[in-house]
Amino acid sequence: MLRPGRVGRVGVVGAPVAKAAVVTAAVTPGPSPVAKTAVVAAAVTPGRRRRI
Amino acid sequence: MTDASLDELGPVDFVIVEFPAGKSNFTGEMAEELVRLVDAGTIRLIDMLILTKAEDGTIEAMELSDLEDLGPLERLEADLAELLAEEDVVNLAAAMDPGSVAGVLVYENLWAAPFAAAARRAGGQLIANGRIPMQAIIASIEADEELEKVGD
Repeated sequence: MLRPGRVGRVGVVGAPVAKAAVVTAAVTPGPSPVAKTAVVAAAVTPGRRRRI
Repeated sequence: MTDASLDELGPVDFVIVEFPAGKSNFTGEMAEELVRLVDAGTIRLIDMLILTKAEDGTIEAMELSDLEDLGPLERLEADLAELLAEEDVVNLAAAMDPGSVAGVLVYENLWAAPFAAAARRAGGQLIANGRIPMQAIIASIEADEELEKVGD
């Protein structure tokens, strides 16, 4: 149960929060979850250059 | 809070961790890791609530102190502020699926505070921040790989 101090106060979140895409859904399903994990690791590897 | 302390405040974020019905497996590991982050000075836990959303959409909010066995969180509970208001509960629970339970954490990124303060002192102002979804990173890499194939 919420403490009385929370009731009637102005909130800080501001608007209904939309559900974010679930990270595990992106990494684990599919034919090759290990490969997808490796893909993400490669993306954040130091030294990767951006393509412009 | 004074202007001086506001100037030293790190960015404050919230996360909602949802546990779909029947998929929770609480071993205490999450609590231990949270305490570790606080003890390391990486974050300061500002507020925490447990939300449940019934199948009919009814929302119930619990304070940490409502839980019977807080375990390692007991030490953190005493320092929590009541930042989230009742109206926040409704907004936060909008992200939850019916039948789920979620933990809401509000925390200050202490690790970022010195840099943020330095940026402010240098005249900088934060104009945007965000999180890059893992899906977007995967899509970016896969698009790169497709481009490389076309280039071959």
